[in-house]
Amino acid sequence: MRLYSLSVLYKGDPKVHLLKAAYDVSTFNFFQRASVQEFMTFTSQLIVERSELSSRASVKEQEYLCHVYVRNDGLAGVVIADNEYPQRVCFTLLDKVLDEFSRQVSKMDWPSGSPATIGYAALDGYLSKYQNPREADAMTRVQAELDETKIILVRR
Amino acid sequence: DEIGLIPCPEARYNRSPIVLVENKLGVESWCVKFLLPYVHNKLLLYRQRKQWLNKDELIDITCTLLMLNPDFTTAWNVRKELILSGTLNPLKDLHLGKLALTKFPKSPETWIHRRWVLQQLVQENSLPSLVTKGNLGAAPLERIHRLVQEEMDVCSGAAGRYPSNYNAWSHRIWVLQHLGKLSVKVLLDELSSTKYWVSVHVSDHSGFHYRQFLLKSLIGRTVTENNVLVQNQMVNQQNLSIQKEEQSAGTGATCAEEQNVDLPHCLEEELKLCTELIDIYPGHETLWCHSDETLNDSHNNSATSHMAQAMDVDGLNESSSKQGYTQETKRLKRAPMQDSLGPEVEYQFIDKVLSTCRDADQARFATAYRKWLVTFLG
Repeated sequence: MRLYSLSVLYKGDPKVHLLKAAYDVSTFNFFQRASVQEFMTFTSQLIVERSELSSRASVKEQEYLCHVYVRNDGLAGVVIADNEYPQRVCFTLLDKVLDEFSRQVSKMDWPSGSPATIGYAALDGYLSKYQNPREADAMTRVQAELDETKIILVRR
Repeated sequence: DEIGLIPCPEARYNRSPIVLVENKLGVESWCVKFLLPYVHNKLLLYRQRKQWLNKDELIDITCTLLMLNPDFTTAWNVRKELILSGTLNPLKDLHLGKLALTKFPKSPETWIHRRWVLQQLVQENSLPSLVTKGNLGAAPLERIHRLVQEEMDVCSGAAGRYPSNYNAWSHRIWVLQHLGKLSVKVLLDELSSTKYWVSVHVSDHSGFHYRQFLLKSLIGRTVTENNVLVQNQMVNQQNLSIQKEEQSAGTGATCAEEQNVDLPHCLEEELKLCTELIDIYPGHETLWCHSDETLNDSHNNSATSHMAQAMDVDGLNESSSKQGYTQETKRLKRAPMQDSLGPEVEYQFIDKVLSTCRDADQARFATAYRKWLVTFLG
């Protein structure tokens, strides 16, 4: 079970832009890595464009699952994982990351931000830590705070 | 240490399409449609005796061909001839196969050729040992052990590159049977070294099936061991020819080395692992199947007279209800069990899962599991 990317975006009106992202393509064939990463960036953006504010969804794209959370204030996060990685842990991670991001990066910077200008460096650490969902998620498992029926599962 | 295809539809620059980066070999895709037919043709012409190729050319051509298409049996067969004639070192083919598997982890022909090569290597090994056993000492055994370890690594790599890679896992089983001789130590080592892997590949049915194979082999081993031990005692008491003595001394020594396997403990551990994983990762039918089979094993184990029966449950990835049902009917056809490995514990576990889980699939699996338990354990 694996996480491949973790990104924070802003759902502006009308465009969505990427604020910051982390990738782990080490399990892919060496020469495919660049194009896989491009695919994930593009897909993350597309998914946020198609999602409503205040929504959570899990979209199946080829053999990956893209978990997206768009907040009321337009801040959005996308996790791309394989189909073994537990969904609940992804959403817990997204909640946590967006929360931290919104506290560290001023709201004024969101509409115009880009990975080069945004100063938030925790994504790589989270991506790496959460590769093992058991360890990373030990505490929150006890609290079943998310009502999973609210999560839309889209299969294509 | 890895090969790959670089997506590059057009040759934009006048330079070689071969790229070598960090010890990984890449081929730009545009050149494949020229290169592959060219080498393919050359080899066929050679085979048809229309055009001669010397040994080095043959080695190069087949190598190129197999990196582009490792399922081209003729190329592997040419290499078999080269190995048999002593021109090609079989270890090179193991390396070539390993490379090919980084890009084509399922390639059946690669695995088949690999087994042929390993058989050649083992034959080479065993001839000297019969004649000069004393002189060579541990060297042949050490060599075989290293071969086995390498194969375990190759299988592991290939299994990680393709989900439920049946070819990789059955090769792994073959290696244990033919090179590892299913020794208890190897079986136990494999059980512990694959534990983490299956914990992070919870839908990989082939991986769990491998663990079933290990457990069943351990069960089988314990039964035969007792028989062989008795046989050895009888044989040693009579003065036999040197050859027979060597054989029995060999097996006698192996028996003396092998630890006492605490089988019920192994099976209990396996069930615990399953339960843990089912709890943490809801909705994976593979884990429930594994649970079934482990319980089944423990019952077969407690029966005194026979070895565990083979279970041929095919790899099952999708959890579509139709296939799930077929899975269940296969289980229902098995003979009823005698003893039990704490069914009360299992019932409690199921109840807990049903009352707390939110995943529809998980609930279905749990209900089916309980039905199975009730039917067969009473």
